[in-house]
Amino acid sequence: MAIFGKKENEIKPPAVQTPAAAKAEPKSSRKDTSLDTTYVGKNLKIKGTISGEGSIIIQGSLEGKFDLKGRLKIAQGAKIKGNVRATDVYVSGNIEGEIAASERVQLDNTARIKGGIVSPKISILEGAMFDGEIKMSDRTVEVSKPASPGPTQPPPASAAPNKKETEL
Amino acid sequence: MERGKAAGSTSLLSKKVKIEGEIQGNEDLHVEGHFKGSIKITGDIFIGPTGIVEADVEAYNVIVQGQVTGNIMAHKQLQLQSSGKLLGDCAAQSIHINEGAIFEGRSKMIKSPAATTGDKPGVK
Repeated sequence: MAIFGKKENEIKPPAVQTPAAAKAEPKSSRKDTSLDTTYVGKNLKIKGTISGEGSIIIQGSLEGKFDLKGRLKIAQGAKIKGNVRATDVYVSGNIEGEIAASERVQLDNTARIKGGIVSPKISILEGAMFDGEIKMSDRTVEVSKPASPGPTQPPPASAAPNKKETEL
Repeated sequence: MERGKAAGSTSLLSKKVKIEGEIQGNEDLHVEGHFKGSIKITGDIFIGPTGIVEADVEAYNVIVQGQVTGNIMAHKQLQLQSSGKLLGDCAAQSIHINEGAIFEGRSKMIKSPAATTGDKPGVK
């Protein structure tokens, strides 16, 4: 629990602070602080594809798909309809569609998921709603291949080692 | 400059992110990344120096420091700053183009939002 709590604090600040900050001061003064994190406010609706690198925080709604190299946070109240691919996915909002993460997926207690999850690491907090299927073998995720080579890979099926030995 | 009506926050599209599609809503938007499609917001849009927008844009105030290919409709003001580039037509209530800016297209002045449907004196 402690770990989750810490992570939560790490990602939240940009989402929580920006609304007040943006209101009070001109936009240009935000420049250095949070220009790396794409932020979609709750009054914004996007239809289409979001792709690229970096972190993204969504409070609004998206109909379409994500293809991201980086951390994606679906905040509480956000609505996603479509497939999501990212390195890490933190969900506190609603998703209707497939989630594929190359590192981890975390469902907060306010998360509402309808669809599948593919990720090597998954955590689901009490209270989260999840209707769907989980696949944890990372071989099915071809989002970002260089993310975790080697040690984390599960041992290959029983037929494979025999073949390798004969080859060697 | 008078700010837009968006009471909400400023949404940001950062540098290495690309969005293809449609954006709608009541919010300010800051674009440093790449956007393709159409944008229609009731707030202000700020297209930063690294922003590339290939879209028709409709917003309250539009400030361009990056590149826009498409038509801009600013219900209040269009600001084309010195690093800005606009390839397309614009319509705005007031227009401000800094020296060094690149603008290729037609410009049309609109009166107040209420009068846009009525007769338009001046530029046709």
